[in-house]
Amino acid sequence: MRASVGDRIVIHGHRTGEPNRDCEVLEIRGPDGGPPFLVRWGDNGHEALFFPGSDAFVEHYEHTK
Amino acid sequence: MRTVEMLHRSGVGVAPSRTIREVAGVMEQAGIGSVAVVDGDRLIGIVTDRDLVRRVLACGLRADARIDSVMTTPVITVGADEALEAAFGLFATHGLRRLAVMRGDSFVGMLTIDDLLVSVVQQLGSLARPITAEILFAQRDPAVPAVV
Repeated sequence: MRASVGDRIVIHGHRTGEPNRDCEVLEIRGPDGGPPFLVRWGDNGHEALFFPGSDAFVEHYEHTK
Repeated sequence: MRTVEMLHRSGVGVAPSRTIREVAGVMEQAGIGSVAVVDGDRLIGIVTDRDLVRRVLACGLRADARIDSVMTTPVITVGADEALEAAFGLFATHGLRRLAVMRGDSFVGMLTIDDLLVSVVQQLGSLARPITAEILFAQRDPAVPAVV
């Protein structure tokens, strides 16, 4: 999985009725745009390293300079 | 099957200097029951929701204490490309519910015993399906005509 700063990572809920979760990519810590990613979760601003599994996908955004 | 193929959930890591309150917030936001504690690229411990109950709430530890004060270390790990049987063996011998999956020195994700149980049940279901069909819809050979 590759991501860019500002992309959104969406994680599918694992149980029926569990909502998807998402976080924003703040930094790329792996080689070649790969994981781990430093991400910010939700509205509370908690940051963590994210190691994506098969439950996650990246929503790329167009980055304007 | 390799261990990494059984990793269905993304892993989350935090720095050892983060507070217990911050890490609890990460776990809540990410919807996970455990986090890896990583110092740079190096995995140095794991913290589970059970650790937060036993080592924080039950002991009256302040929520602004560092997370590395309650992490479990050393961490039992399994290689991402190791056969799944290796993970089964580690779960059985160490009485664990979570295993850190590593590729070389890098943390890849957290394998839970729940993941394995779900997989085992699904595999048993797959095995039982043809047998069930055979029992319910038995195909019988036509009777051989009697030779007169």
